[in-house]
Amino acid sequence: MIAWKKSHRRAAPWFLLPALALLGVFVVWPMLRALGWSFTNADLLDPEHARWIGGENYSSLLGDPRFRRAFGNTALFALMAVPVQTFAAFLLALWVNRPEPAWRWLRVVFFVPVVVSMPVLAVVWTMLYQPAQGAEMGLVNAALGWLGIRPQAWLHDPQLALAAIAFMSVWQGLGLQMMVFLAGLQNVSRALLDAARIDGASAVQRVVHVIVPALRNTIGFVVVVTTILSFRLFVQPYLMTRGGPGNSTRSIVQSIYEMTFLDQDLGRACAAALLFLMLVGALTLLQRRWTREERA
Amino acid sequence: MRFFSRTPLLVCVVLGALASGLAHARGDEGGSVVRVWCHQGQEAENQAMRTIAAAFNRAHAAGHVRAEITFFPDFQYTEKVSIAAAAHDLPDAFDLDGPLVARFVAAGLLAPLDPWFSPAELDDFLPTIRAQGTIDGHLYALGAFDSAVVLYYDRALLARAGVTPPPEHEAWTWDEFLAACRRLRAAGLEPVTLHMNETADEWFTYAFSPVLWSAQGRLIATDGRTVRGVIDSPENVRALQAWQTLFKEHFAATDPIDPDPFDHGTVAMDWSGHWLAPAHLAAKGARLGAMLLPRVGPHPAAPCGSWCWGISARASDRRLAAEWDRWVTDPAHGVEPIVRANGAVPARRSAFAAFPEYARPPYSLFRYQLERFARPRPRTPFYATVTQQFAAALRDIAHGAAVAPRLHVAAAEIQAVIDRRAGAPGAKR
Repeated sequence: MIAWKKSHRRAAPWFLLPALALLGVFVVWPMLRALGWSFTNADLLDPEHARWIGGENYSSLLGDPRFRRAFGNTALFALMAVPVQTFAAFLLALWVNRPEPAWRWLRVVFFVPVVVSMPVLAVVWTMLYQPAQGAEMGLVNAALGWLGIRPQAWLHDPQLALAAIAFMSVWQGLGLQMMVFLAGLQNVSRALLDAARIDGASAVQRVVHVIVPALRNTIGFVVVVTTILSFRLFVQPYLMTRGGPGNSTRSIVQSIYEMTFLDQDLGRACAAALLFLMLVGALTLLQRRWTREERA
Repeated sequence: MRFFSRTPLLVCVVLGALASGLAHARGDEGGSVVRVWCHQGQEAENQAMRTIAAAFNRAHAAGHVRAEITFFPDFQYTEKVSIAAAAHDLPDAFDLDGPLVARFVAAGLLAPLDPWFSPAELDDFLPTIRAQGTIDGHLYALGAFDSAVVLYYDRALLARAGVTPPPEHEAWTWDEFLAACRRLRAAGLEPVTLHMNETADEWFTYAFSPVLWSAQGRLIATDGRTVRGVIDSPENVRALQAWQTLFKEHFAATDPIDPDPFDHGTVAMDWSGHWLAPAHLAAKGARLGAMLLPRVGPHPAAPCGSWCWGISARASDRRLAAEWDRWVTDPAHGVEPIVRANGAVPARRSAFAAFPEYARPPYSLFRYQLERFARPRPRTPFYATVTQQFAAALRDIAHGAAVAPRLHVAAAEIQAVIDRRAGAPGAKR
């Protein structure tokens, strides 16, 4: 037994080697390179001749109104999307959580947008949001017209564009969170629910006092994941508004992309990417701590 | 136990096999190889490029010279080439979009082409193609084809509204253009499409810079690094206010859904490129007319430019790399086959003989403006930033943003990038 363990220990590094090598080459090394470049004025096309400029990239980024706007936009997007998406996904999960096979198709319907590629959805929603041009308008405006609401230039009005993108993103991502909640709901004790019912608890009371406490960890997980996904916002605004009108929908990731490939300012882009990484890391830690406390 | 002790050996064998595989792939190449990268276009275009490369290889078989061509998807081709440049992995010869030549020259990645073309040969190229590839007096890139934008119109629809198009080589003034739109609108027709649904930023800078140029405006000063007071100059403000009228008066759609409303007969005029000429001719036949782009100032203006070929400053053998560039821009070996495949405007004067359609409009108009007054987009290392900001401003202006403040914002944002990058290693020259 001891001999087996010894050999096991000796062999372990060899089994770890491929994974570690891949991680090292494709994650750790590029991150270290990025960290190094972030303190230089490296040019994308000519990174060799980079000059050390200390923390200048970081300080200028933190003071750059354009980058701060991108951060603000992304945070506002998360603030709009995360609570709505989590709450709506929870309600949907409660609704479709029925054993009858007929309900399965409804789950599939809600999950479809998650599977469809985002660029396709971005194009479709750009059409749905079409502003009125003469008698022609997109479906969203037409539908609101029946309710007596005047047509809006959803993607071209600085006040509305980010909200319009958030609405579309919530619709797109909802299915994933719904599935996670559904999985959580399967674990809620049947006996507890039946007991609550016998005690005369209403449907709302059962949700608030039995289901929500039982799903605390699931809710925490969904909030963390949705927040991180929200901060990675890029495809929807990039394809639907290009960050406009003005800078009203420019996201952090789009800023980093533009710094890298348009301004070709590799050093600054690396600094921005690392700031972004720290932000997402901090959010994750914060929320993990929160869910751990809840668990305890 | 035995299994575990063999594991390290196994790993070594696998790694060794991989390494020897790589070594083998490198040692396989006999003679001289010119590594060539090309953006992937329509399948017909790729097929033509492969045929051109095969012909190059046949013609150079005696000298044991071979071109190895690799295609990269058009989407984000520039990003891929940039990353390859950063990794010192550029091929000997590659194509790039015309406005990006200045950037690659500034980063020291392109070798001059002037030693490899005689003055007589250069004279055979359209002036626009030479201008596009010339940075600080040296030629760095040449293309096999060029491009053009005109205002197509449907003769029957214009006649129905009582609108008379200008003579063949003249452009409407902006007021004449707006008056025509008004009459078309009054006749119950959609006046014009500007393809505002185009997703690429480049369409906007490419197609609408001529409006500024015709008003004596510019995107960036001749020093290639001053934008403030230039892109937001009074001339540009006046030009773009004129342009904005098209949308304010609903003469053109800001968010069209139909990608080709002109051929579908719903729109009377089409502000678009040479690439739509075959489709328009097929749809309209003799009803198709074309005129120069309307002008805001006294002179007409037109854009130009397209993909062009350069050679890497790090090419193992510049002479061979240049030989490839000479081949792909040769009237018979390069220009004719590629233009047959992609329908662009031949870049060499002697190649026009193979394309009889250039005797008549709309094709004759393409050549006319390229020979006389079309001009390349600004040749500055900061072009990518300029074009993105300008396109964003144009989108906002089309949707009603006040012209002067929006251009001031664009000027400030571009200038901030240039000021920060001006001292950077890759933007110095």
